[in-house]
Amino acid sequence: MTIAVPNALSRPGFFQRLSFANKSDVFTRVLVIAITIALLFYILLPVYWMLKTSFQPNQEIRVLPPIWFPTETTAHPYTNANRLIPMWRYVLNSLFVSVTAAGISTIIACSAAYVLARFRFPGATIILGLILLTNLIPAITRVFPIYFFIQNMGLLNSYVGLILAYVGFSLPFAVLMLRGYFESAAPPELEEAALIDGCGYFEAFWRVILPVCLPGIAAVAIFTFLNAWNDFLWASLLLNQGEMKTIQVGIGDFAQEGGGVQYVNAFMAACVVATVPALVVFVFVQRWLVGGLTAGSVKT
Amino acid sequence: MASIEIREARKAYGSLEVLHGVSIDIPDGEFVILVGPSGCGKSTLLRMIAGLESITSGDIAIGNMVVNDLPPKKRDIAMVFQSYALYPHMSVAENMGFSLKIAGRSKAEIEQKVSEAADILGLRPLLFRKPAQLSGGQRQRVAMGRAIVRDPAVFLFDEPLSNLDAQLRVQMRSEIKALHQRLKTTTVYVTHDQVEAMTMADRIVVMHDGNVEQMGAPLELFDRPANLFVARFIGSPSMNMLEGQIEEVNGAPTFVSGGFALPLSQASPAKPGEEVVLGFRPEHLSIAGPNSVSTLEAEVIVVEPTGTETLLNVTTAGHAFLALFRARLDVNPGERIMLSIDPLHVHLFSKATGKRL
Ligand SMILES: Nc1ncnc2c1ncn2[C@@H]1O[C@H](COP(=O)(O)OP(=O)(O)OP(=O)(O)O)[C@@H](O)[C@H]1O
Ligand SMILES: [Mg+2]
Repeated sequence: MTIAVPNALSRPGFFQRLSFANKSDVFTRVLVIAITIALLFYILLPVYWMLKTSFQPNQEIRVLPPIWFPTETTAHPYTNANRLIPMWRYVLNSLFVSVTAAGISTIIACSAAYVLARFRFPGATIILGLILLTNLIPAITRVFPIYFFIQNMGLLNSYVGLILAYVGFSLPFAVLMLRGYFESAAPPELEEAALIDGCGYFEAFWRVILPVCLPGIAAVAIFTFLNAWNDFLWASLLLNQGEMKTIQVGIGDFAQEGGGVQYVNAFMAACVVATVPALVVFVFVQRWLVGGLTAGSVKT
Repeated sequence: MASIEIREARKAYGSLEVLHGVSIDIPDGEFVILVGPSGCGKSTLLRMIAGLESITSGDIAIGNMVVNDLPPKKRDIAMVFQSYALYPHMSVAENMGFSLKIAGRSKAEIEQKVSEAADILGLRPLLFRKPAQLSGGQRQRVAMGRAIVRDPAVFLFDEPLSNLDAQLRVQMRSEIKALHQRLKTTTVYVTHDQVEAMTMADRIVVMHDGNVEQMGAPLELFDRPANLFVARFIGSPSMNMLEGQIEEVNGAPTFVSGGFALPLSQASPAKPGEEVVLGFRPEHLSIAGPNSVSTLEAEVIVVEPTGTETLLNVTTAGHAFLALFRARLDVNPGERIMLSIDPLHVHLFSKATGKRL
């Protein structure tokens, strides 16, 4: 994952290790750094442009050549965006749908993955095979079946319908990943030790397996959250009316309602708002993703 | 404190039976070691006592109560795993106090018991470390600490020393022994290392292919192995075997193999004509003197001096033997020497059944 990079960079000795002995290596080193900077520029430029534009007065955006570093900034686009669309409401919708979907699918995935990792029972391999299979089917082929499925259940344009769809999409990956995690991070002896120490099955899971596997579980939850948060396709199909829209759909519609032409800065402000929660989640939970908690429990 | 009775215990995985009716009685306070080659079912039996593995048929009783259907937590046992299985997210103190916490004991009591155990095992300076910050030997000690704070009726160990280096293993061996002498808790200890078994056990149970081959005190097994398997398994270096038959020479039963003849004591139950296997330990071979009767001429293949002892690999008439001397011998590979067998220390086994005669 990309989050490992800043850690590696900030570790003392990273650049010392990069330092090379002779002159031709100095050239390689300069080249490596130059390419890195170019790549960063390429990746970050659109983000910078979005951020910059969201603080610029509208007339400044149109001028040619473009202004790279605005001298004058304003928060007006943000209030304007909220005036033009119910931006905060959309954000709350997105948060609600994404958090709920992530929570539900993590809980279900935990239980399923745990059973698949621990217990041998008839049909286990078939279940695993089927789960794998669903991952192999391109998402787009599922559009119609699922749309009609949700429609027939009368869940079109409801939070429940969208959450159900997100949970369904994220489960296969979540189960497979957590099963692997349970198998490698929590060997059966750990649970057996807990059973002998006086726990029942549930208590052993709750007090030992769960805390030990928290990094993996958190990774799955975050992944599911981000997928749901960033989704446009399904949200635009299943939940596209009125105040219930997610922020991604809201922004999409805003683009067609003049955001792209008339209110570029307000549009960009809405985009920033749609990006920030994902970023915050990422930064906040980084430490769970680092893992390594289990080192030393079992000597291999 | 409790006795353990295992009656006709069987274990099958599907149609594959791995334990074929094992019966063992372990009196209260005894230190019993299950020993046997890899895959013979030692761990399986231990895990059945612990309640981690179901019992296909037969009974296991702890403290006169049949525990077949009790979950591990109701059996009042503590177990030390080969991999230690410490809880990685807890400190040493939390690891040791976990069972008491689950049992709902007070904080003060937990603290007191943990610190007692920490003193016994020399873990006091490490109490607030995580398992990842400990060496292998220290982790092993924490695993033991986790077992002793509970003051259980039975200790179960599954090869607890096999991940340690040789020196530490010897040290922990005597520590575990000392701990047992102090706590007097009934202990079942699994190992495949027969030296560990000999030095630590009150009683050894030798297992092979899901059966108990013999049980008894270490020296009993060493001196009177019940069959060929035990004879080969117990003792290091292991016993020499020579096939032959019993013949009557001058009215006395005599073991004969090729040109070699060894008169047996009159009390020997072996009948003339019987096909037998003669067993003799490497240390019961000696360099033949001028008056020796039953001698073997052997060629020295390898000389292994250890300082206190000399181990010779020799061959005679196509048979390879080991000979152990508590002295420094001045022999070289390729030399021919005359060896004699101490007739008081030979073992006779039926070739057909492998049983001791
Ligand atoms: N879950 C299982 N399914 C099928 N067979 C098993 C299972 N667990 C163990 N066995 C078989 O049972 C037999 C006994 O295994 P066990 O682990 O008790 O051996 P062991 O004496 O402890 O050996 P080691 O010294 O290698 O630990 C082995 O032949 C093993 O293959
Ligand atoms: Mg084993």
